[in-house]
Amino acid sequence: MDKTLILAVLIPVLGAFTLPIFNKISKDLRNVMAVVIAAITFILNSMLMQSAFSEGIRFAITFPFGFDFAFKLDPLSAFMAVVSSLTSLVIVIYSIDYISHYENQTEYYTMVILFMGSMMGLVYSDNLLWMYIFWELTGFASWRLVGFFRGEKDVTKANKTILVTMFGAVVMLIGIIYIYLNNQTLNLSDLKAREIAVLPAVLILFGIFSKSAILPFSTWLPDAGVAPSTVTSLLHAAVLVKIGTFAYAKIFGTVFYTPESFNYAVLIITGITALVSGGAALIETDIKRIIAYSTISQLSFIFLGLASGSKMAFAGGILYILMHSIAKASLFLCAGIIEQKTHTKDITKMGGLVKTMPLTALAFALSSFSVMGLPPFGGFFAKFIVFKGAIETNDIIVPSIFFVGAILTMLYLSRLFYKVFLGNEKINAPSEGSPTMVASVLFLAFVGLVLGVMISYPYSYANTTSEIMYMGVSVK
Amino acid sequence: MVTDFLSYSLIPLCSALAIPFISRKSRRITEILANVTLLSGLINVGYIILHYIIKMDYSSFTFDAFTLLMIFTIYLVGLAVVFFSTYYEVENDTNSNSYYSLILISVSAMCSLVMSRDFFTLYIFMEAISVCSFALITSSNSKNSIEASIKYFFLTFPASVLIIFGISILMLNYGSFDFDTIKFTNINFLTVIALSMIIIGFLIKSGIAPFHFWTPDVYQGSYSPISAYLAGIVTKIGGIYAIIKISQILYNSGATYKISALLLFTGMLSVLIGAFGAMVQKDFKRMLAYSSISQMGYIILATATFSPLGIFAAVFHLVNHATFKTVLFLNSACVEKNTGTTNMEELKGLEKKMPYTSWTSVIALLSTAGVPPLSGFWSKVLIIIALWQSGNKYYAVIALIASILTLAYFMIMQKKVFFGKLSEKLTEVKEAKFQLLIPVITISIIIILSGIFFNRVYFYLEKIIM
Repeated sequence: MDKTLILAVLIPVLGAFTLPIFNKISKDLRNVMAVVIAAITFILNSMLMQSAFSEGIRFAITFPFGFDFAFKLDPLSAFMAVVSSLTSLVIVIYSIDYISHYENQTEYYTMVILFMGSMMGLVYSDNLLWMYIFWELTGFASWRLVGFFRGEKDVTKANKTILVTMFGAVVMLIGIIYIYLNNQTLNLSDLKAREIAVLPAVLILFGIFSKSAILPFSTWLPDAGVAPSTVTSLLHAAVLVKIGTFAYAKIFGTVFYTPESFNYAVLIITGITALVSGGAALIETDIKRIIAYSTISQLSFIFLGLASGSKMAFAGGILYILMHSIAKASLFLCAGIIEQKTHTKDITKMGGLVKTMPLTALAFALSSFSVMGLPPFGGFFAKFIVFKGAIETNDIIVPSIFFVGAILTMLYLSRLFYKVFLGNEKINAPSEGSPTMVASVLFLAFVGLVLGVMISYPYSYANTTSEIMYMGVSVK
Repeated sequence: MVTDFLSYSLIPLCSALAIPFISRKSRRITEILANVTLLSGLINVGYIILHYIIKMDYSSFTFDAFTLLMIFTIYLVGLAVVFFSTYYEVENDTNSNSYYSLILISVSAMCSLVMSRDFFTLYIFMEAISVCSFALITSSNSKNSIEASIKYFFLTFPASVLIIFGISILMLNYGSFDFDTIKFTNINFLTVIALSMIIIGFLIKSGIAPFHFWTPDVYQGSYSPISAYLAGIVTKIGGIYAIIKISQILYNSGATYKISALLLFTGMLSVLIGAFGAMVQKDFKRMLAYSSISQMGYIILATATFSPLGIFAAVFHLVNHATFKTVLFLNSACVEKNTGTTNMEELKGLEKKMPYTSWTSVIALLSTAGVPPLSGFWSKVLIIIALWQSGNKYYAVIALIASILTLAYFMIMQKKVFFGKLSEKLTEVKEAKFQLLIPVITISIIIILSGIFFNRVYFYLEKIIM
């Protein structure tokens, strides 16, 4: 199993750089290889997930200064890896049609696979410094992907993306060095169950918030919507913003005891973020920006689960990561189909698309329901458990802020669906997307539904993970 | 002087002397001789170093690792520049006899400088390097380059005066210039005065703020491959190296009379002035020159801690700087050759036309900005840790945050020069010749590999401190 662990990271990371070579042979081969690498990564991760609860699966190469290159399998990592490799796989399959008429395709596939690989490296890392290294690699990949179109505006937004996230990362590095000099180690296994001081915790939180686009760093995420929809879908659903939530869960949930005041501050900030971004989503008219703001508000719910301080809420947060990834990937890919067929992103110019694009509309609706939290979709259970866990901690202010946030979610998604799919037809005869693309979005939408119907499986996994791993707040 | 490595400085010297005679027969032979001399040296020293890095068995390791590493770096950059010049068609622009001779002489002088074990020898070879540089800057015989050379001469000669003054005081005080003699005797106030004068002299030579005014003009004005040579290695060996040596001397002595604090301050000043200066530049080479000032600041910060880890980090960053700055300057030379300008306002969208140049400069700039897992990241992290451990927490934090400035100005550069829509004037531009890309690609690979196999590089570099 140790070998599987290292392969799950190395195959996509190194495989990414073989794609330019395959491209020299044939373009189709390159596309096939991209899918194959993504599929292998998914399969390896699924295999790892089966033995996630057995102890001591670890791979390490000793580095000087305690910067060990170490990977460790734990239930949380395996879960995150499976979720993001599954969504990435669907996105890569969808890309084959979607991206086929643009330039820079080789670079695109290389970066997508590298992105996925560095995500795997990040989730399995057992060393804070290596976590940071993979973190920066994802930043690099997102820079190239957001700047996929090489217009003036695209490149500017790409630079904004990398500068904001790297600024956060550098601040986080200060926190990591702080921890290193206090504890003389960065191995998470060795740091387990220690107290963390407020200062390094805040510094690391800075990095997490910049990556997850929580206030005050939220502006880069909607701006990154200039990229092709597959990229934004990847950023929002599978990898980039989830990194922040994952790192929070891992560092503050399962390694350190965190001070209670710190957790409370996180809840307040994310609560405000949920409101602000929900409001922004209500007034935006660009379809991708609306979904982007929706991501920001949903991420706040994940933080609500992770930071509330009860095991139940933590399990809910983990579930929420899964449900949101599936639903948001589907929403963005739908937006990609719509954008490609109508040649606009402005929802005021759309309308009545349900007649011409019924399958896309169906997928969009199912995924929206999941994000809104309507039963029996997966999103409902995740939201329910998060709220239940949060209320268990006997605080009323935070859950009420988030309750308003949840209502806003329903409002802006209904508005979006209405404007795009219902009402009068404004754009003439856009046809349905290509079969692969529609199949991808329908697949994701139904996965969301199935996960809701069979909630007991993911729930018991999340619950056990939380029982075993969650450290809780500081006793002091 | 240590004599173990004497052949590394004598062989290039002999080649340099032979070149004027054989060049009468054929220009080709000149080029071949220059390349072969440096290549054989590089293979030799590279083999020794790689042998230890790969085997990781240091039981038979007896010689001075620091000197050897410096020689490796000198040869690497020297060969890259000479090879590049061979296919850059320097014979159209310059008098190629003296061009290759001068490069070889300065390689020889630099090797001798890193072998020296006393201040006087150090000073002599520093002057030899400077004289070669004055001549090399003017290679292209253009008005700009002569202006740059004159500036370089007038703005850095006070350094020589200061250094010779400092050395005289040392002589009066100890009766010796030897590093070890000074290191193992008690350092008194007079020594500190002398060392301070020497340090200021070398700070001027290496273009650290507030003495940085000559660097942008010189790097911009000089002949393009020579800019890479100067920025990559010459001003570093002729300046920073000596400061690292002095730092090693002061490391053992308790009384440093605030030299550390002053160095930290100038280092920080350089980091910031260089970074902010680079952001507003319109010229590619000038921007790289400011970036160089900023990176030198990091090295000074590391040396100023006077701790083993700091010296280690400084040496590592010096080597890394030699690699990535050479790549960037050589790329700027390619851009200048193929488009006829280095003005970033006129350049745009070269990525399509020059993909390899674009990608190698991305690698080099990310390494400069300290993005993992490239080699520049490790040296920067070590600098930060060294600063923090020596109690200069705030400098560590500012230095780390400043690396985001580095990333920012490089993003601006990359956006202007390589990304974006191709401007109409540049539709005829082609990728640089394959041969011109070889040095750049090779060094980029070194950047990536030394970053990924950092643990092995570390075990080698550890010998420097011990």
